[in-house]
Amino acid sequence: MAENDKLVDLSEFGLSDEELFAHYDNDEMESERITAPRYSYWKSVFRVFFRKKINIFFIVLISLIIVFAYIYPLIIRYDPEVDPWKFVSVSEAKHLNPAQAVSYHGFSIHWILGSGAQGQSTFDSIWYGSSISISLALICAAINMFIGILIGAVWGFSKKVDIVMTEIFNVVGNVPYVLIISVLVRILTGSFWALVFALTITGWLGIAYFIRTQVIIIRDREYNLASKCLGTSIFRIAMRNILPFMTSIIMTLLATEIPSYISYEVYLSYIGIGMKEMSLGKIIESTQPFMFVKAWGFEYWSPVVIASVITVVLYVVGQNLGDASDPRTHM
Amino acid sequence: MAKYLLNRIIRGIVSVVIVVAVVMVLLFTLIDKNYIFMNDPVYSKRQQNDREAYKYQCWENYGYLEYIPYSEYLEELEREGGISREDRFAAAAFGYTAEDDTEIVARYVKQYREKYEAEGFTFVRLDALVQNKALGTLMNGGSPKIFVYRNTPVLVRLWKYFSHLITIDNIHYVEDPIEDRGLTFTLFDPLYGGKKFSPAIMGNGTYHKYLLYFDGTFPFIHQNLFTISLGESYSINTGVDVFTTMVQTQGSIVKSEITFPAGYVGQASVDLHTAAYSAGSYSTWDGEKWVVTTEKYYADRYVDNYTLVEKTKASLSKTGFSFTIGIISTFIAYVIGIPLGMAMAVNKDRFIDKLGTVYIIFIIAVPSLAYIFMFRAIGKSIGLPTTFDVDNLTAAMYVLPIASLALPSIGGFMKWVRRYMIDQMNSDYVKFARSGGLTEREVFSKHILKNAIIPITHGIPGAILGAVVGGIITESVYSVPGTGGMLVKAINFYDNGSVIGLTLFYTMLSVISLILGDIVMALVDPRISYTSKGR
Repeated sequence: MAENDKLVDLSEFGLSDEELFAHYDNDEMESERITAPRYSYWKSVFRVFFRKKINIFFIVLISLIIVFAYIYPLIIRYDPEVDPWKFVSVSEAKHLNPAQAVSYHGFSIHWILGSGAQGQSTFDSIWYGSSISISLALICAAINMFIGILIGAVWGFSKKVDIVMTEIFNVVGNVPYVLIISVLVRILTGSFWALVFALTITGWLGIAYFIRTQVIIIRDREYNLASKCLGTSIFRIAMRNILPFMTSIIMTLLATEIPSYISYEVYLSYIGIGMKEMSLGKIIESTQPFMFVKAWGFEYWSPVVIASVITVVLYVVGQNLGDASDPRTHM
Repeated sequence: MAKYLLNRIIRGIVSVVIVVAVVMVLLFTLIDKNYIFMNDPVYSKRQQNDREAYKYQCWENYGYLEYIPYSEYLEELEREGGISREDRFAAAAFGYTAEDDTEIVARYVKQYREKYEAEGFTFVRLDALVQNKALGTLMNGGSPKIFVYRNTPVLVRLWKYFSHLITIDNIHYVEDPIEDRGLTFTLFDPLYGGKKFSPAIMGNGTYHKYLLYFDGTFPFIHQNLFTISLGESYSINTGVDVFTTMVQTQGSIVKSEITFPAGYVGQASVDLHTAAYSAGSYSTWDGEKWVVTTEKYYADRYVDNYTLVEKTKASLSKTGFSFTIGIISTFIAYVIGIPLGMAMAVNKDRFIDKLGTVYIIFIIAVPSLAYIFMFRAIGKSIGLPTTFDVDNLTAAMYVLPIASLALPSIGGFMKWVRRYMIDQMNSDYVKFARSGGLTEREVFSKHILKNAIIPITHGIPGAILGAVVGGIITESVYSVPGTGGMLVKAINFYDNGSVIGLTLFYTMLSVISLILGDIVMALVDPRISYTSKGR
């Protein structure tokens, strides 16, 4: 038969049977070893993340945003008390478009976006404002996610807590969010930390509710019931069985949370409940009347475009990181 | 099902009450009560003691405290017969300071003070502020004041608020001794000359003359039997109830030829169906008989004291505008968003899906303020009107506000429909249906869509009722006179009455929407049942 041609004729080697075959003892330990390839979670996350080439582009953008928002103001020693008012008494320096500003001040990076109502550099104030807005978003997201996940997990696991928390959620969820924020901002005189406090005092409830629903969905899955029957502690089930399942959900949530705080800050400034610092929202709000003045429209649209770029980049990176952190995509 | 619903409704009502209580605590205890005068022109005009008294008067009106001036106490005492009229006048003339009081004044002030201090009131006596000692002239607003006040506890405030929420008109409302109190039912409304068929219920002795009537404006049947008062506003619409502010018509006055009850025919803008009782406007009871007013205006037009009428205005109410815009945009969002989401799911990872994802990212990530202004700029460049003119409404004015509300919700629907459909696509019954030989078309329309659409139906009642709330930014950008900006404006002006009223209204809407949403979901999906205990 044709197949037989492929078989190797051992006699060709000219070796004795002892040389060809050695006895191998039955090793219990060896039989337990799983011969799957080595798996490192975080390595796989980054492998999957960078598989999409567009993510490299977004990572570059995010680093640029961080450099301009946090390092650039340090390099130019931007002082929010002094710098915006440098040219306040020079009427020719106000409301310049980029070309005019460059020809008036000479070319430098400060004037590539023109100047504003006080003759200040739009470019500098936008990036300083961005650093405030991004910090606000990051701090609020961190606090709300931390409290929300912690309470959401307990809420999902314990049926007694569920009854109480659901009622609390129904009540607090119905108090208008704007009302809570504005009352607190009024009392605490609109500083950065006042806004953080106002955004986080009830902000975690929505996240906790979301996590609670997710926990309930996986809590009663068969493999968890099996773990429970085998006597695994609730804490271990939470850490080993449920948390890995939740990583992608948490990452996706984080991806929507961070940009939403930046947007919300813009919205709050617009309706007059903002903070004192010149954040992105505050800049957009103060330049909003210039939108329809033909020569000044640039002053309004540049912070809006930069705010939009920041939120979109943060959102996309977060979403893709969320996808990559899901172990099911690591195949 | 009925038992479950009843349980839900009761729990809903309880949470509404708690929400209002929380908001009351928030507003009345955390915010300094002097803030409410920030935008009050009367407050800035009044000075010294007058201002002080005005403050307490306002705080009483807005539910902070109970305030009883000395003169009010004396009047009350006279009515009860505890003091003669002459004594009352003598007792009311209190001096510049306590030392200046006459003996009778001192006695009554002491009695007044002891009575109210025993009830937990605080006694305040503001001495006169003399400008010129020799002449005895007072400073502007420097007249002496005597009053007592007591802070209202939250529970009392809550009780008062809810007990005044709905007033039912009754035939004993009018205090004057009028004859034949009662309700009459007529099939031929006298306002239409008594010939046209138009049923109405009219009252005599009630506050409103017409309790139920039909007319030519939407929703054609109207009632005045129940009056809802959510809370008096003092900045949005000074002195008018929030609910009235939301539902009353706006814009310029419309005149038409009107035949008044007394036969006078003329151009007027009044809506006679809204007639309410105003004592002494047509006739006054002098103790023995009714004396008809000599004022020609009322004598010519009316036959009774129901003369308090509202003006007919050309445009919709605040709620009307918000609801019109909201309901159309919601409808458009469902009609466009769901098919687009379906198309994205069917063509997963192909061009249409990627294009849709870019739009969804844009809507989620870009600040709403930015894209609303962008839509406005685009609309302006193609020649659409960007501001709302209440008196010259055209259909084109609605286009941009509707688009600004619909476009973001379309993104939301696309996202969720796609998500739900893709989740269903991987389920076992779909694999089974495919292996059973169904075409892709049948699998999608008969199996996946039916299951994926269920969570979407839950939001339909909420979307319809929520249309009343209006969009805050959209309405302010296009200057739509809707309800959207009311809450923010009320908060900014420290208008506590309005804030509480609006919160109550919105909370009720959301509680009702959730209950209705669950019912709709159970109707669409027969597997969902609220009766079995197994759930």
